[in-house]
Amino acid sequence: MRWATRAGVHIDRAACAWLIRRFLDPDAEFVFVSDAAEVPADSTPFDMRGVELGHHGGDCSFETILRRHELTDPVLWRIAEIVHEADLDDERFDAPEAPGLDVVLRGLSMTGDDEHTLTISGPVFDGLYEFHRRRLLLGREPA
Amino acid sequence: MRGLWGRHRWPELRRAQTNRLSTSHCVRVDLAVQPWLHSSVSRSSADSGSPGEWVLLSYRLPREPSGPRTTLWRRLKRLGVAQLSDGLVALPADARTRESLEWLADDVLAAGGTAGLWVAQPAAVAQERELATAMAATRAAEYRDLAGSCRAATTADPAERARALRRLRGEWRAINRRDFFPPPEREEAAVALRHLAAVAAQESPAVPEAAP
Repeated sequence: MRWATRAGVHIDRAACAWLIRRFLDPDAEFVFVSDAAEVPADSTPFDMRGVELGHHGGDCSFETILRRHELTDPVLWRIAEIVHEADLDDERFDAPEAPGLDVVLRGLSMTGDDEHTLTISGPVFDGLYEFHRRRLLLGREPA
Repeated sequence: MRGLWGRHRWPELRRAQTNRLSTSHCVRVDLAVQPWLHSSVSRSSADSGSPGEWVLLSYRLPREPSGPRTTLWRRLKRLGVAQLSDGLVALPADARTRESLEWLADDVLAAGGTAGLWVAQPAAVAQERELATAMAATRAAEYRDLAGSCRAATTADPAERARALRRLRGEWRAINRRDFFPPPEREEAAVALRHLAAVAAQESPAVPEAAP
């Protein structure tokens, strides 16, 4: 399946792309557009204005995708808190990882194209997922 | 692109600020002397001395319910917008400020209001300077408050001081993010915060708190 989003990927879009590939569509192909009019007809847009998988009611797009696709994995919702704070920074959640992750993603967007950002950030989110999975299972910080 | 300070500087103030900068602000100095690092928007303003681009959000929200109005107001305040008139706010244009206002425009529409997003250039440098000076003054007041809170927390008991330090560091980051035209008060707040951190580090007993 094809998925479209705005070019110039930052935290929310990088996290959404990871979520889509890992949990919704392993063969996902991403198209980056600079204008909503360029979204291919056969693709699903995300993190763009006026689309279903965008910001809604104070949620960032990552949270919206979790809701729309009824993903209830608590580890994903923990990551959603981090992405929300990194993207919106409205102090809705306590996510000390957020500022650091935001800086890493912004730096990536300065050193490579969007494909590169997704290639690098994918394993970062894998690691984040594993860390929080273990933390949840252990009930404390994993070693 | 939010981090590219100085992209929207008019030459005089930039010089004035550069003179005041300490070593901790070397990024900003670099930007000031390396205009090619600026976004395309500011390149034009830096080279020609003409006003830079601003992104404007025009909006109308129904008077009732008041919830969405309050939420919007809080979000606009957090972004540090300049209120041009009733229902019209502005930020220096870059990818991030534009995106932030785009999402807010959607929020306004979702709440039954009307919203428009514009990219505009002040017609005169003086008008832009006035706008930026007002924004800098608002930030200056926030930095002064922060510095005051830091000084007050310095004499608090150790536990309270540690809590205050965490909270004030968060506030510092939040003000920084919406600080497009850094006033000298920024440095004053930075010094007060560093002092509070130094006092807290010196006098805090070995607290068995794991988090680094």
